[in-house]
Amino acid sequence: MSAESDSAPSVASSATSEPEIVVRDLVKSYGSFVAVDHVSFSIRKGEIFGIIGPNGAGKTTTVECISGLRVPDSGVIRVAGLSPQKDRKQIREFVGVQLQESALPPRITAGEAVELFASFYPHPLDPRDLLETLGITRLRNSQFRKLSGGEKQRLSIALALVGNPRIAILDELTTGLDPEARRETWALIERIRERGVTVILVTHFMDEAERLCDHLALIDHGIVRALDTPEALVARAGGRRVRFVPSAPVGDSTLRAIPGVDGIERKDRYVTVTGTGDLATSVITALEKAGVRVSELEARSGSLDDAFVQLTRREARPPTGGGTE
Amino acid sequence: MTSPPEPTPSRHRLRGPFAELFRVQRRIALREQYSFTGIFLPLGLLIVFYILGVLNPGEVAGSGLTILELWTPTILVISYTAIGMLGLPVTFARDREIGWLRRVSTTPVPPWMLLAAQLVFNLIIAAVATALLIVFAVVIFGAPLTIGIDFVAVAVLAMAELFSLGLVVAAIAPSQQAANYIAGGMFFPLMFLSGLWIQPVQVGGVLQTIMYYSPTGAAVRALLYSVFNATPPYTALATMAVYTAFFFVVASRYFRWE
Repeated sequence: MSAESDSAPSVASSATSEPEIVVRDLVKSYGSFVAVDHVSFSIRKGEIFGIIGPNGAGKTTTVECISGLRVPDSGVIRVAGLSPQKDRKQIREFVGVQLQESALPPRITAGEAVELFASFYPHPLDPRDLLETLGITRLRNSQFRKLSGGEKQRLSIALALVGNPRIAILDELTTGLDPEARRETWALIERIRERGVTVILVTHFMDEAERLCDHLALIDHGIVRALDTPEALVARAGGRRVRFVPSAPVGDSTLRAIPGVDGIERKDRYVTVTGTGDLATSVITALEKAGVRVSELEARSGSLDDAFVQLTRREARPPTGGGTE
Repeated sequence: MTSPPEPTPSRHRLRGPFAELFRVQRRIALREQYSFTGIFLPLGLLIVFYILGVLNPGEVAGSGLTILELWTPTILVISYTAIGMLGLPVTFARDREIGWLRRVSTTPVPPWMLLAAQLVFNLIIAAVATALLIVFAVVIFGAPLTIGIDFVAVAVLAMAELFSLGLVVAAIAPSQQAANYIAGGMFFPLMFLSGLWIQPVQVGGVLQTIMYYSPTGAAVRALLYSVFNATPPYTALATMAVYTAFFFVVASRYFRWE
């Protein structure tokens, strides 16, 4: 058994050109529902790769196929050169997984859980050191049911890392955490990256993806809508937003005629247009011509949030869905 | 075997996964009350029936046996039923429901090992309960029971039968709550059929036959013969064996890890 595990590619050798994880044309359906529809991407060694998308987009299914928890209908997955389905046993030795909504028995202590998981792996980290690193040494003797959300999350990360994985898959890492715990968790992930671990981060929080990820795959309705760095994604989506209050009602057609505008939202007295170029100037100029004055104007350049909304909305729904933000 | 490169101070590899799973299972279980139900409920019953026996000396319904002698096998079987049906499936259904099994299945350790650790732990609890009940019945209360290899063999078969019934509950229950309801709902009929309220010798007729061919009644009957140094009726043993096989097949047919 231990002889087999040694045949997993060594950490040093594959660093150069071969991607650490390759997913090609992955398809997975549940009955007639296509959860993942020809998804392809590759992940370089040592990077943090984000998989973002709305709820039910197929993110979790995708990573579950990568970790070998699910069997794809078709497509190719290679994790460090191995197949998660055929070589599942080997892969589980060097892929650490943090599952969405997975709890521990209520009365297990944090220390017991980490030591238990350490015993599962051939070359584990020292559980005490790990708890120290994660700042949860004081929880060693606390039972799981007594932990706060943030503490549970950190314990869950500890379980994903105690096997000393070269790849960590973290699903919905900070869902349910308060802002401070989220920031602490982010800092933790950055420390993991410094140790050379390749991280797949599944999230629907754009600030999290923007802060942590080197590359992103935006998945919606099982399809990869975009695959890029966070910065490029923001730029690609245009991502400029201008919000204002018009002095008189303005029709959608007038707004659409303004160069660069490609999205309109209305809320109360406010009109928000999204698009590219020098949007604020274009809006003011065009509306002045139409005899409408603009007040309370607020312009900001895009965030990943905007990119996300635009990319998912444009592809998936008719543009008249407005006001859902 | 070459030693692994860095960051591995291997003191935690001294214990293998199964030993560690068992250790953790034991520690968790001892923090929960359920694991004591299978020991203290029957022990309480034994004391009650000892007192009843002191108050009502003599044989029961022409069986030639006293209350304590007649009820000790019943109480042993109730112990196995409580451990196999209340402890095992409820814990397992919970571990499945909360995603713990799934969590374990992302590691190199297969989830069956977790179930195996729970089974072994509960078998040990059943053995402890048996030893305690026998010490009380024979040594303290003076029941003239023979505890030999026959008894041990029948007791092990009874445990296997009721544990596999517990596995059926673990397999079909969609949640911990459901496991609780199913096991709880089955527990009382099983206690009745074991003769807790009235022994088969006291009822006779059709009800006696039903009791003899029930999972708990058959086990009680076989145990009763074995503690009086008689070969248990093969119908009782066969009944237990058939139930064990049947429950095991049903459990493995419907078993779900997720």
